Amino acid sequence: MLNFDWLSGVSAETAKMIFFGLYILIGVLVIMLPNDYIYEGIKKEDRHWWNNLKIWSVAVLSILATVYYQF
Amino acid sequence: MLAGIDYFIVIAYIVGMLLLGLYFKKFVSSSEDYFLGGRSLPFWAIGMSIVVSDIGALDFVGVSGQAYRYGISVGNFDWVGSVPAMLLAAFIFIPYFWRGGMYTIPEYLGRRYNKSVRTIASATWILFFALDLGVLFWASAVLLNVLMGWPIWISIISTAGVVGLYTYFGGITAVIMTDVVQMVIMFIGGFALVFLSLDAVGGWENMVDKISTMGPEYRSHFDIIQPVDTKSPFPWTGILFGLTFVMSNAYMIGNQSIVQRCLTAKNEWHAKASMVFGSALKMFIPILVLFPGLMAVVVHPDLADGDQALPMMIKSILPPGLVGLMFAAFFAGLMSSVDSLLNSTATLFTKDIYEPFIKQDADDKHYLKVGQITTLVLLIMGVATAPISSDFPGIYVAIQTFMSYFQGPLFAILLLGIFWKRTTQWGGLSALVIGIGFAILLNVFKANFFTIEDPFLYISWWSFLLAFIINVTVSLVTKKHTDEELKGLVFSSKIITKNKS
Repeated sequence: MLNFDWLSGVSAETAKMIFFGLYILIGVLVIMLPNDYIYEGIKKEDRHWWNNLKIWSVAVLSILATVYYQF
Repeated sequence: MLAGIDYFIVIAYIVGMLLLGLYFKKFVSSSEDYFLGGRSLPFWAIGMSIVVSDIGALDFVGVSGQAYRYGISVGNFDWVGSVPAMLLAAFIFIPYFWRGGMYTIPEYLGRRYNKSVRTIASATWILFFALDLGVLFWASAVLLNVLMGWPIWISIISTAGVVGLYTYFGGITAVIMTDVVQMVIMFIGGFALVFLSLDAVGGWENMVDKISTMGPEYRSHFDIIQPVDTKSPFPWTGILFGLTFVMSNAYMIGNQSIVQRCLTAKNEWHAKASMVFGSALKMFIPILVLFPGLMAVVVHPDLADGDQALPMMIKSILPPGLVGLMFAAFFAGLMSSVDSLLNSTATLFTKDIYEPFIKQDADDKHYLKVGQITTLVLLIMGVATAPISSDFPGIYVAIQTFMSYFQGPLFAILLLGIFWKRTTQWGGLSALVIGIGFAILLNVFKANFFTIEDPFLYISWWSFLLAFIINVTVSLVTKKHTDEELKGLVFSSKIITKNKS
C-alpha cells in the first residue's frame, strides 16, 4: 500500500489527465478570487489589466499545461 | 581549465557582488530593516531572489546528473513541484503572514499553537541551515580549487569573507539585491550552455531521435509522467502525492528562507506578485539545469557517474569567456544559497530563540546587533565545520533527506492551523513530534517498506498523512482555543471578500 501499487492500473495518459485537471482546478479557483483581493495594496486608480495577478497566474498555468502536453 | 578572460570575469563578479552588497549597508538602521528590508522591496527583486536561492550550484550538477540518468521527469520538481504551491502561497498564506507583520514561520506556529511548536520548528530549521552552511562553503572551495587553483582554505575564507561581509552589514536587502544580479548571471550562463549544447547535438529533434534509439533504459527519457512501477525515484504517484501535495507546499509555504523574502514586500500586492512572478521564472529552471544533462547523453554517452554530465559539457562545449561566465553562474548559485542561510538563521535565532527565551523587551538596536552577531557566529561555524564535508561525501544529500522528513509533518500542522479553527496546541505538537518520528522510522526501514530506489517522496506523503490524522484526532479530544486567541490566525473568507482598503 505504501508504494501506491493499488494505483498501478492507472495508465500514464490518465495520470497526465489528473495533472491537467489539477491545473484547471487551480486556474478556476484563482479566477474566482475577487478583484479587490487580487489588487489589495494598489490604489484604485493604479489598477490595470497588466497588474491583475489573475492574468499572471493563468498565463503561468497555461505554460505549465503546455509543457505537460508536449512531454 | 580557465583562460585569462575567465579569471577576469570570475574575479570581477566576486568584487562586484561585494561592492553591491556593501552599498545596502546604508539602508539598515533597525532590526526590521535587517530582517525584513524595512518592508520596502519590489516584487521583481523578491521573485528573482526566491528562484535563485532555491537553485544552488550543487543542484545544477545534481539535477543535470539525474536528467542524464532518468530523463525529463526530473523537471517535475520545478514545474508541477513549484508552480501550484507558489500560487497557493501567493493567494492564501503569504497575505496572512504579511498582514500579521510576522518575521518567521515558527512565529506563526507559536501564535497559532504554542511556544513548544515554535521552538521545535525553529530549532530544526536552525540546525538544518547551520549544517548546510559548512557543506556549501566546502562545495564552493572545491569549485575554486579545481577551476582557479586556489588552496582550499583560501577559497573557503574568500567565499565566507565576501558573502559574510555584505550579509552582516546589509541584511536581507543586500541578500535580495545581490540575488537579482546572481539570477541574471545564472540565466545568461545557463542559456549560453543550453544553446551551444543544442547546436552541438544537432538540434532538439536530432537529440530526441538519438537518445530514443540508444536502448531500453532510455525509452522513457522524454516521458514526464513515469509509471507507478518505475525504478526511478519519480513515479507519478510520488510526484502527485509526495511532491505536489506535500513537499512543494511545505517548501514554498513553510521554508523560512523563501517566505521571509515575501515578507519584505512593500505592500500586499507586491508580496503576492513576488510569488507569482517567481513561479513564472521557475518554469525556466529545468531548461537551464536539465537540458545540459539530457544533451550529455548524446555528447558523452558512457559516463560512469551522471553527476559528471554538466562539468563535461562545460569543458567540451563552452569557449573561453563563457566558461568564466558559467563558473560565475555556479558561484552565484552558491553565494545566493549561503547568504540566504545566514540571514534566515540569524532571523530565526533572534526572533524565535533569543527574544522569547534570553532577553525580552530589549530595545530594537539590541536585536539588530544580535542578528548581526549571529550572522558572524554562523559564518565562523560554517568555515570551521566545512572540512567535515570532505570526510562525508554524502552529507549534502543526507541533510536534504533529513529536511524532506521534517516537511511533511510541518505542512500538516501549517495547513490545519490556518484552515481549521478546531486544531489545538496539543494536536499540533503531537502531530509534529510523531510525524517526524514516523518519517525517520520509514527512512530507517525503507528497504522493508518501499520498492523504488529512493522513496523520499512517498515518505513525505505518508508522514504528512499521519501527522494530519494525529493533529485532527488529538485536537478533537483536547480543549479548543477561544475565538480571541485565534483572531487573525485562521483562514476566513472575510480576508478575501472584505479587504482593508
